[in-house]
Amino acid sequence: MNPSAATEISSQAITLMATLMLLVQLLMTAQRMLLTSIRLFAIQSLLLAGIAALVAYHHNASHVYVVAGLTLIGKVIFLPWLLNRLVHRIQIHQEIEPLLNAPTSMLICGGLTLLGYVLARPFTSMERLGNNTLGIALTLLLTGFFLMINRRKALTQVLALLTVENGVMLAAVALTSYGMPLVVELGIFFDVLVAVMVLGILVYRIRESFASMDTSKLNQLKG
Amino acid sequence: MNLPALVLQLLLLLLLAPLVSGVIKNWKAKLQNRRGPRPWQVYFDLAKFLRKDMVISEHASWVFSFAPYVVFLTALLTGLMVPMVHTPAPLSLYGGVLAVVGLLALGRFFLALGGLDPASAFGGMGSSREMTLSAIAEPALMLAIFTVAITAKSTDLSQIALSTQSATGKLLNPAHVLAFAAMFVVLLAETGRIPVDNPATHLELTMIHEAMLLEYSGRHLAFMEWGASIKQLVLMTLFLNVFFPVGLAGPGAGAGALGLSLLAFLAKLLALSAAVVVVETTNAKLRLFRAPDLLSAAFVLATLALLSTFLFH
Repeated sequence: MNPSAATEISSQAITLMATLMLLVQLLMTAQRMLLTSIRLFAIQSLLLAGIAALVAYHHNASHVYVVAGLTLIGKVIFLPWLLNRLVHRIQIHQEIEPLLNAPTSMLICGGLTLLGYVLARPFTSMERLGNNTLGIALTLLLTGFFLMINRRKALTQVLALLTVENGVMLAAVALTSYGMPLVVELGIFFDVLVAVMVLGILVYRIRESFASMDTSKLNQLKG
Repeated sequence: MNLPALVLQLLLLLLLAPLVSGVIKNWKAKLQNRRGPRPWQVYFDLAKFLRKDMVISEHASWVFSFAPYVVFLTALLTGLMVPMVHTPAPLSLYGGVLAVVGLLALGRFFLALGGLDPASAFGGMGSSREMTLSAIAEPALMLAIFTVAITAKSTDLSQIALSTQSATGKLLNPAHVLAFAAMFVVLLAETGRIPVDNPATHLELTMIHEAMLLEYSGRHLAFMEWGASIKQLVLMTLFLNVFFPVGLAGPGAGAGALGLSLLAFLAKLLALSAAVVVVETTNAKLRLFRAPDLLSAAFVLATLALLSTFLFH
């Protein structure tokens, strides 16, 4: 196979997987069961690991393999496992009614997707592998923030933070064509890992002292 | 117009449609550890319905007796406009995407009228539910097909299938992925499958499609059921041959190529049926007021698909 055809195929595979990431993100917006949301996040991270592996293979950048491996171990296996355990421990399986109902939030996410694409437009003319993914990365960032605002359960907000992080990783892999320096990647990765563990404990504490995960109750005085 | 092709596709539509329903029913039962009816049981059911007498309410008008034939014929006509085992489809000169969606809507309109006409409480309820859901499902279907139509630069379904086929070797592009997801949800909703409607129950609180058929019996019921299974086959064919026209025989193909195309089509159809069975078994039926959430999700996905055809260039 000649190199240009190979580039074409891997570029398409990357765009395809990035779109699937977007699809999973939109599903997560409409999803109210916590365990399913966690599973969706694991799928999204798996797709991210796939993209990183493809980029690494294509550019012969061995340190991006490390990123892919870390994503696989950390975000596909470890974090979902941790969050799953947390859900079982606090015995809350369903998100309460979000601030905006599912159709409205889907529409807003649609608008945010459009915004993401439009913002990424000036950059997508650059000839790079999987250059279209920047729009999707921005969209993941925006919808992640929206998800965080829209949901009231602390656990879903943690998940939203993780999807924002997935968006940043995707942008890093897609835009710089061989990923950020390994040190930076490792830094972000462990940051998120520690943040989630701390947040997990925090969620458990909130639940213990307020008998609920509803973060909107945190501004009430405790007598 | 090519007469043998027309006859072939007509026969396929008439004979294959009940079998697909039967296979789905059978596999679903197997997956749930039941034995289930044999796949060809649906044929016997239809034959029996055709032989039985009809009981028609004295309050029913001509619309009631007219509706089953409209439902049946619109499904059949739509089927002839969709390329099934070869392009172009037998009636492709007479209409493209818009005609297909329009004919389906006509059939649905008469189905709802037939539910309303004998003035039974359940029929009206079923009609109202059907109309509520299809008001969201239909635009999603149209947007999803338009996405592919824009890539193919034609609203002719055969042309769309050919253009998707010539792009083989390429993977699905982002717009297609989104449209594909939207279309799958619409497929489940339009064929009355589980997250939206339950085809296996006559429980009054949940039924949608069955509620409209409650007053029908005998020959009318046979045409309604047959029409519904043909519509299901048509939508599945539309889904398969628009997104995966693998093995679809081109214009002027010989008998061998047609046979091969038929085999490929059957294989794809069985795979899609298996997917439907898995979805039906692993999901619970949505509460009626949650079903619009699912369908509006499909609508947003289809809108995004349409937008990204313009944005990814």
